[in-house]
Amino acid sequence: MATVTATEPTLTEHTAPSPDPSYIQVKNFSFWYGSSQVIHDQTFSMPKQKVTAFIGPSGCGKSTLLRCFNRMNDLIDGIHHEGDITVGGESIFNPMLEVISLRKRVGMVFQKYNPFPKSIYENIVYSLRVAGRNKKSELDEVVERSLRNAALWDEVKDRLQDSALGLSGGQMQRLCIARAIANQPEILLMDEPCSALDPVATGKIEELIHQLKRQFTIVIVTHNMQQAARVSDRTAFFYLGKLIEYDETQKIFMNPEKPQTEDYVSGRFG
Amino acid sequence: MASQNPNPDPKRFEVSKGTLRLDTFMTHFIKVGGVGIILSVFAIFIFITIQVLPLFQSAKVEEAAVIDTGVTDFHIVGVDEWGELPFVVNLKDGSFTFIDIKREHEAKPVIGPRGIFTEHPKYAGKAEFTSALYHHKSEEVIFGTNDGRYTLVKVEYTPEFNARSERTIKAKLSADKFFPLGKGLGAVQAIDYYDADKDRLVAALVESDTGLQVRTTTFKRKKTPFGVGAWKPADEYNLTDQIQGKPSKVLVTGQGNGVLISTVEGTVYFFIIEKGEIGLRQKFQPFGEEGIGSMDWLLGNESLVFTSDKGENVIFAQYRPEPTEEQLASGEEVRRQFAEINSLPNLSGPADLYSHSMRNRAFLLASGPEASIRYGTTGSIRWQKTLGFTPKAGILGSRYETMMLADDAGSLHFFSIDDPHPEASFSAFFSKIWYEGQDEPKYLYQSSAADASTEPKFSMVPLIFGTFKGTLYAMIFAVPIALLAALYTSQFLKPEYKKVVKPTMEIMASLPSVVLGFLGALWLAPILDSRYPSVFLILFLLPLTAAAVGYVWGQLPQRYRIYLKPGQEFLVFIPLLLIVTIAGWELGPWVESKLCVYVDPTTGQEIADFRLWWPHTFLGGNYDQRNSMVIGFMMGFAVIPIIFTIAEDAMSNVPQFLTSASLALGASRWQTASRVVLPTASPGMFSAMMIGFGRAVGETMIVVMATGNTPIMDWNIFNGMRTLSANIAVEMPEAPKESTHYRILFFGALLLFLMTFLVNTVAEVARVRLRNRYKTVG
Repeated sequence: MATVTATEPTLTEHTAPSPDPSYIQVKNFSFWYGSSQVIHDQTFSMPKQKVTAFIGPSGCGKSTLLRCFNRMNDLIDGIHHEGDITVGGESIFNPMLEVISLRKRVGMVFQKYNPFPKSIYENIVYSLRVAGRNKKSELDEVVERSLRNAALWDEVKDRLQDSALGLSGGQMQRLCIARAIANQPEILLMDEPCSALDPVATGKIEELIHQLKRQFTIVIVTHNMQQAARVSDRTAFFYLGKLIEYDETQKIFMNPEKPQTEDYVSGRFG
Repeated sequence: MASQNPNPDPKRFEVSKGTLRLDTFMTHFIKVGGVGIILSVFAIFIFITIQVLPLFQSAKVEEAAVIDTGVTDFHIVGVDEWGELPFVVNLKDGSFTFIDIKREHEAKPVIGPRGIFTEHPKYAGKAEFTSALYHHKSEEVIFGTNDGRYTLVKVEYTPEFNARSERTIKAKLSADKFFPLGKGLGAVQAIDYYDADKDRLVAALVESDTGLQVRTTTFKRKKTPFGVGAWKPADEYNLTDQIQGKPSKVLVTGQGNGVLISTVEGTVYFFIIEKGEIGLRQKFQPFGEEGIGSMDWLLGNESLVFTSDKGENVIFAQYRPEPTEEQLASGEEVRRQFAEINSLPNLSGPADLYSHSMRNRAFLLASGPEASIRYGTTGSIRWQKTLGFTPKAGILGSRYETMMLADDAGSLHFFSIDDPHPEASFSAFFSKIWYEGQDEPKYLYQSSAADASTEPKFSMVPLIFGTFKGTLYAMIFAVPIALLAALYTSQFLKPEYKKVVKPTMEIMASLPSVVLGFLGALWLAPILDSRYPSVFLILFLLPLTAAAVGYVWGQLPQRYRIYLKPGQEFLVFIPLLLIVTIAGWELGPWVESKLCVYVDPTTGQEIADFRLWWPHTFLGGNYDQRNSMVIGFMMGFAVIPIIFTIAEDAMSNVPQFLTSASLALGASRWQTASRVVLPTASPGMFSAMMIGFGRAVGETMIVVMATGNTPIMDWNIFNGMRTLSANIAVEMPEAPKESTHYRILFFGALLLFLMTFLVNTVAEVARVRLRNRYKTVG
């Protein structure tokens, strides 16, 4: 079942050319947890200011790959990799590169909304504060801009100092998006951002992704194929750690080349 | 069952009876266990409280019997230790009337088989007696005659036991010779004496042709290996001229070297004999312009009990006042003086009757029909009652179990006293008390002394202070180390190392505290003794080096930092800090030789010794080998694993999604730790500290072994302390069951119980509030 229900503006967005079609490049990349290989020799590139969706059944390595882009896997014991990933031509595994500065360039939204037990305001400005930016006027400006970008401003503008934990699930996830974009990263990684949300909240997040891709390069992992079809420009299908097919979203869903892709997108397995 | 139910459950849906029974049993079993624990804790609390409560009860005094003696013209009531053969003294002829009392257990005293009998001591000649005084302690009566002489009659009580172990008290009277107090003297109106080994001091108010004279006479006797010689008059002093007003009473001081004379007008003259000369030491008015009603010694002849004409009641004792500027300038020695150390509630009038207990600081006062038993140290009234008769003479039994009051009609009223803990009171435990021999009111704890007449001092304040002092120093040492170690282990250390570190720390927690105490006392204390400058140097250098290295490391470019993987920094740090520690240890003596130079005041010699320098530089400071620093280290060592384990758990339990969120936003490991992990784990860290605090408060063996256990109140780190728990451990073996001391140890336990209860409650409330503040989603 692959139906693309894109709205009019989205279609025009789809057609807009990317300023850098190979902004993120994955080159012969393999990845191991201990002795088990979860990513097998993948090579592909993702365009700037577009939405790329990673789809595939559970355990196919799509989340692991996503977490390589900001090196969140570093926290795990016994990992190693081969090959390289570059962002804007620069290797993210360069030992001279500070992982902190990489993470400032590559923001991330997690599967489960995870606001800090602080106020809404403090959640948003966290990335600025850790960077040593504490000027009140600047922070205020960032909070408003980020919340407006995350389409949350009107809902929370009167209670910025309230605890973020008082928000609903959908609001919290949008808060996490606002928090991730507060420091203006270049890339926004989204690891199944809607899996814990109800359909109404999901709709709002998807709308938001459409807004955000004007500014950010977005990589989204999703289990929901309709969602991939709705929000992404390009889609990569992974299976058992291998990249099976990577193409324009329309093509993947309408006319996939590989039979496995067709089986998956049409719901025959997964 | 089956017949009533048309469609019985198939077998596979049935629940086995065994499962249900086990479920029911376990539910109840667990319930019993849980409730049982709560009940037993409560029972312990109740048990301790029951042990403590008698401390706060006042005396129960009951009139047990009235015995008619037939003797009305008496002056003195005396009694033996067992209260079975009291006597009254008939002043007219110096005869003693004994009353044999049969005291059966739990029965009223009645007149015994020997009845009432009168005995005449064999006086060395004829005399007419005009005054007499009974010394309860030495069981001697001193008589003054109408011609200026005195004699002493010894009442020797001896218990004799028959075949059935029944006790009969025998009394033997032996009178001494008559000694003259001076020449040309008349009737003795008041007299007192004190026997030292070879000296006797007798003071008396004696009538003469020129009026009432105040006479003091000393006697000496020779003591040889073959026995003691007879008393020979030595010096005579006439104090009459030095006293203004009408003298009413004389007392001899407890050392036998001083005389106190009170006048009707309200002045007390205090004379001291030094090197054969008598001099006026002090003149004071206990009630200002008001007259003195009575003046008597408390047990031990250190404190004076005064009542005024109007019934005011105060206690005076000697103390050494602060030297005045003139005295400091002239280098004159500050002499001990009498001062008011306590004041008690008023009586209805001046005391007509006084007797003090031979066991403690309790004393009996009676004014008209009003009788009162009071306690000198605490200033509390143990018992007070307006009697149906007017006591003329009376005495407290030497065991403070009986009281005998004689009325005008010649009846002896027997009272039983049940007051096992007269020295205990709320003020004795928690307020400053001016004890005899002290120069000011103090919080003192001294449960026993060499001399039975020394009053026990039971202030809980030094013990509570010591408990907090030990705990504080332990926490100062333990909390930073334990929390930082927990933070490092949970947030920075690689998990593979953490797997080793954590169980190791948990093993540390299982070290018996007696081992730690032993190590502290016999290994650590002697090592540290000569190396405190090194210790301070290390304590100063270690954090400084760590911070400096950390800063330099952070400033290094990435290309140098890649050689050390995150989580392995300790491989460089530990050797570095070890080097600093060794350097500090070795440099300590050098620093000591430069900084801690003590100049010996007598020889002018310069000695570089911290142990001498510290007390010298910090006034009031003191140096003990087994001090709070050793306690801080050893008790800290006992507390660190507990705080570490709980805090580490709390920090490790901070959800991964929060730390990931922080790291993904570009925060460093330290920023993540300080901004996300610490606030979120703060309830757990708080619990950890409080549990550590609770352990330190109750810790016993380390404190017992590694300090001097002196109950002092001094924050000085180079002094010891005595904690409530150590106090119980040290003194419980020497406290007789159900004695005041025993109950006071239980009182200490109750305080400890309440303190930990309070700390835990506050901690729990704070923890819940923190948890609500920093709770997380999901």
